[in-house]
Amino acid sequence: MPWKDRYTISDEKTLPDTEVTWPGEQRCCFRIVVDLAPACGPEGIKPQDLATPDAYFGLHGGLAALRDVLSRRRLKATFAVPAVIADIHADTVRALRDEGHEIAAHGFKREDVSALSRNEERARLQCTTEILTRVTGMRPAGWFSLPRSSDKFAGGAVSGDTVDLLIEGGYDYFGNGLADDLPHYWVTDFASRRCLLTLPYYYHFDDQFFLLFPKKGTGLENPETLFRNWKAELDAQYRRGRQFAMVLHPHAIGWPSRLHVLERFLDYALALPGLWNATSGECAHYWSSTFPAATRLKLEPSIWRDYPGSLS
Amino acid sequence: MDTSTELANALDRDIAALKAKAADYDARHRVIESCAWPNGVRVAVNFTADFDAMLLRRVLNEPPMQLAKGEFGGRVGIWRLIELFDSHGIKATIFTPGRICELYPQAVKAAARSGHEIADHMWEHQVPKDPVLERDHLRKARAAIEELTGRRPVGTRSWHSRELLLEEGYIYNSHDTPDYRPHYISEPDGSKPLLNLPFHYAIDDAMFFSFTWLNTENEAQRMMDPDHVLEIWWSAFQRHYKQGGYFNICMHPFVSGRALRIAMLDRLISRMKRLPGVWFPTCEQVARHCLSAYPPR
Repeated sequence: MPWKDRYTISDEKTLPDTEVTWPGEQRCCFRIVVDLAPACGPEGIKPQDLATPDAYFGLHGGLAALRDVLSRRRLKATFAVPAVIADIHADTVRALRDEGHEIAAHGFKREDVSALSRNEERARLQCTTEILTRVTGMRPAGWFSLPRSSDKFAGGAVSGDTVDLLIEGGYDYFGNGLADDLPHYWVTDFASRRCLLTLPYYYHFDDQFFLLFPKKGTGLENPETLFRNWKAELDAQYRRGRQFAMVLHPHAIGWPSRLHVLERFLDYALALPGLWNATSGECAHYWSSTFPAATRLKLEPSIWRDYPGSLS
Repeated sequence: MDTSTELANALDRDIAALKAKAADYDARHRVIESCAWPNGVRVAVNFTADFDAMLLRRVLNEPPMQLAKGEFGGRVGIWRLIELFDSHGIKATIFTPGRICELYPQAVKAAARSGHEIADHMWEHQVPKDPVLERDHLRKARAAIEELTGRRPVGTRSWHSRELLLEEGYIYNSHDTPDYRPHYISEPDGSKPLLNLPFHYAIDDAMFFSFTWLNTENEAQRMMDPDHVLEIWWSAFQRHYKQGGYFNICMHPFVSGRALRIAMLDRLISRMKRLPGVWFPTCEQVARHCLSAYPPR
């Protein structure tokens, strides 16, 4: 094992609370990420995935209700949009952009890329960038590989090449990392310090795992649990002066029976002084310039030794 | 011989085999029935953390984001647990795989400097079947811990064989749960006894908070919130406190090290500390007390 490949993606220790700062002396960064992909399998969005009541609601009534909740509170979010959805719903995506939200990439059709060849993954990535650029008039700064509620692991799927290809493709950040609760650098090459800024994600703050999860009929409807997780994390991270990120699905949270939980949480959050509501792109831009990898990424040489009879 | 006699004999053999197995298992276990603690202590609350980070995810060959989820434990979680325990003057036991010493030497050193016990958690979170390699792994893990902490580990949380652990000088394991009290596990004749300090899966953070824990299906996930688990654990503690005894809380830095759960543990510890007679020892302290006050027969 050359460095700590296939074990760690970043340096040994997070930035301590005392060193974290936000623009204008604000206390805590507050991010909302909206997943605009309809429910689909690991092969990505198929025609029949767009012809379901939930998919319709997620791009129409549910989305409208969520936009209304956000705009009434002047909150900005990052919408993670598969290229095919941006192509089909170009006017909707442009309207979201015009409302001040960020449009980020969420794969070509939200497919699981982990088994693709490097060349095929690169081609899909380039096509995604082109479509989103054409629809929104600007290159997407961020890329998400968010999990589906049907996935075996609730972390999202990437291949061994994804982050390297994102750097090559000019992306500023990867949107759903699990190794920290602050932005951190995902290192793809130890020697050259090649890395990509990664923003934190955690499934305990993702609505889809609490609202009729994993699917209708299971009865696992726990909006209050979701609320308590959001609030407990925000309280703790606000006290530490760090960062909070939540993920919403319009087809899930957009129902009146659930939206009141989100409204109650947002109103609680907005009453905290010094909360910096940033899009993921704004957060990434601030972090890269204030805590650049060149001075902040502290990669210790590995003391790892290979032995016969042990994992390498 | 007619078939009914044959059947009767077969059933007798069944009963005999079952009796023998049950008797053998019983003879291997001796519970410390009524464990009294040093002066004025009513209950021993043992905070234990399994510092696997991404190592177990790697052993199971899980995908990259699973490893990153574990990495949180090394970058962030372990530091917060050390800070939490230090702020309460609590000494915890950190069960640390040998390989973690190579991945997170700063954190392991910091934990040892704060006076926490660094104990074995296998070389790479698995025990090889080959006995020669098993011993090699146990010794590698010990060397890795000793190099960072200057102290040889005396305890383990592992599947290592009891015979090997005794030969290598270990005084306790904290693994199986045949009882809620500390107990000895030995040969049926009582020889080769090793103390076990039990923890229970319901007093284990991963059961409530870690997706796909122990390879569970999505339908089985219980995405709980800290308030809910706090109430379960607080009620459990109260019952233990009432009867006196031993209460082991098992944590994982990648799970409990999340900010919302550190805040929950802080509330739990603060509540416990308001009661008289609550002792927060390391596993080693519990083990040394048991071994001297209630030695194996």
